[in-house]
Amino acid sequence: MNISMTRIQAIFMKDYKEFSRNYAVSTMVLLPLILAFVYNKSGVNSINSYFLPINSAFAVVTAYVQCCLIAEEKEKNTLRSLMLSPASLADILIGKSLFVFIISLFVVALTIFLLGYNPANIGILTIALVLSTVFYIALGTLCGLFAKTIMEASIIVLPVMFIFSFGPLALSLSAAYPILEVAEWLPSSQLVILAEALESNFATMDVLIPMATIVIWSLLTWVLTGFIYKKRMVD
Amino acid sequence: MGTVIDVQHLKKTFNKEVALQDVSFSIQKGEIFGFLGPSGSGKTTTIKILTAQTESSAGNVFLFGRPANAMKQSHNRKRFGILTDNSGLYTRLSIEENLLLYSNLYQLPRSAVKEALDFVNLYSERKKKISQLSKGMIQRVTLARAIMHKPELLFLDEPTSALDPVNTQHIYNGLRKLNAMGTTIFLTTHDMGEAEILCDRVAFLHQGKIRAIGSPKQLKKEFGDDSITVELQNGERTTIQNGAQDAQKLYSWMKSEEVVRIYTNEPTLGDIFMQITGSDLV
Repeated sequence: MNISMTRIQAIFMKDYKEFSRNYAVSTMVLLPLILAFVYNKSGVNSINSYFLPINSAFAVVTAYVQCCLIAEEKEKNTLRSLMLSPASLADILIGKSLFVFIISLFVVALTIFLLGYNPANIGILTIALVLSTVFYIALGTLCGLFAKTIMEASIIVLPVMFIFSFGPLALSLSAAYPILEVAEWLPSSQLVILAEALESNFATMDVLIPMATIVIWSLLTWVLTGFIYKKRMVD
Repeated sequence: MGTVIDVQHLKKTFNKEVALQDVSFSIQKGEIFGFLGPSGSGKTTTIKILTAQTESSAGNVFLFGRPANAMKQSHNRKRFGILTDNSGLYTRLSIEENLLLYSNLYQLPRSAVKEALDFVNLYSERKKKISQLSKGMIQRVTLARAIMHKPELLFLDEPTSALDPVNTQHIYNGLRKLNAMGTTIFLTTHDMGEAEILCDRVAFLHQGKIRAIGSPKQLKKEFGDDSITVELQNGERTTIQNGAQDAQKLYSWMKSEEVVRIYTNEPTLGDIFMQITGSDLV
């Protein structure tokens, strides 16, 4: 695979400058932080409640921001200009994901801090959070590639954000509506399952299954993203 | 001189609508080739096929001896530059920041940005954001981006359509300089004057078909006549033909100092286009 650090860095710097001057999108990072602050003040202390703002951070910051950045590139025809430059598929996708990756981890870390959540095993949870970030970036990129404008992107990403943020909550209704049990296999639910396991004497499989599920979601979404990107290269 | 672009029996359809039909032409290294036609005649579609942005429905298209699809490979994309009507610039970034991004993507030294800005006469404006620029200035930035890496082949889709005469002249001089350094230029334009000034050869595209192809001089010879118009002291204008009979007339008018002006009746490229297609170019 043809990868150039110079090109990745150039795209990263461009995204940083664009993001910092795009207040409509950049202010979205405040949403999970405000939610986390309010949750902390309301005295919640269960894993399920901790992960609502954390999963919201992934949906609102990672998926939404990435989706908007990609959709804006499409709307302004800048993505086509990038595609016509010598930057490879990997350069563009990595370059465009790196900025959101860094900002997502920063926001998630800050959300956890504001929630007052002290995970029992910070190492394993960090790995799961990094894997989740990779998945949500792919999801945002995919939604952005389907949208033609930022307006369209906001509409496309909305149900996606809803499903992945509130998936774990749907599980609480599964007794009444058994179909909602499928929500257990969402990456957001798996993250909660993993975090709950970490708080007790967990077995290796208790950690591996959620991790593997998130990895599979990531791989499938990235493969689909690469395929759609290549299709978008031509009219 | 090698062939840079070779198009054979190109056809493109969108659903059932034919956009290009049996289009064939080739462009030699170092040529400035003008693709002339009204809106919707298939000029931009041709550029898109040549730059692998869209696929042809039939026919063969070669760039630098390779199928156009090879232009999807990132190392081949360094070989051409493109200016289209849809700028693709980052509006929140400055002119300089936009060009710096592309200088990094093409892995060029920083000096390439200054050179490109000088080329389009925008160095003093480099700190301005794209969102603050006029349409003409945006076009100049896009042109700067297209030529920054000194491509072997340059695609220009209406390059001076939004420019004032001073900047148009500046761009013409720059393009001639680039061409003198070996860059082959594929240019689409509505401006017949531009085509006459810049192009070594032109092709007339009408309803997806090439109707004529050749140098402006050749086409004028082929589609023009040898007549001249003579304006006399009494205000009369007379058209005379190249031949012994009319030469005698002209001689007698000149001898009696009756001639005020003599005009050639050479057709413009626009006249020839109308003659061939029966429709106007714009």
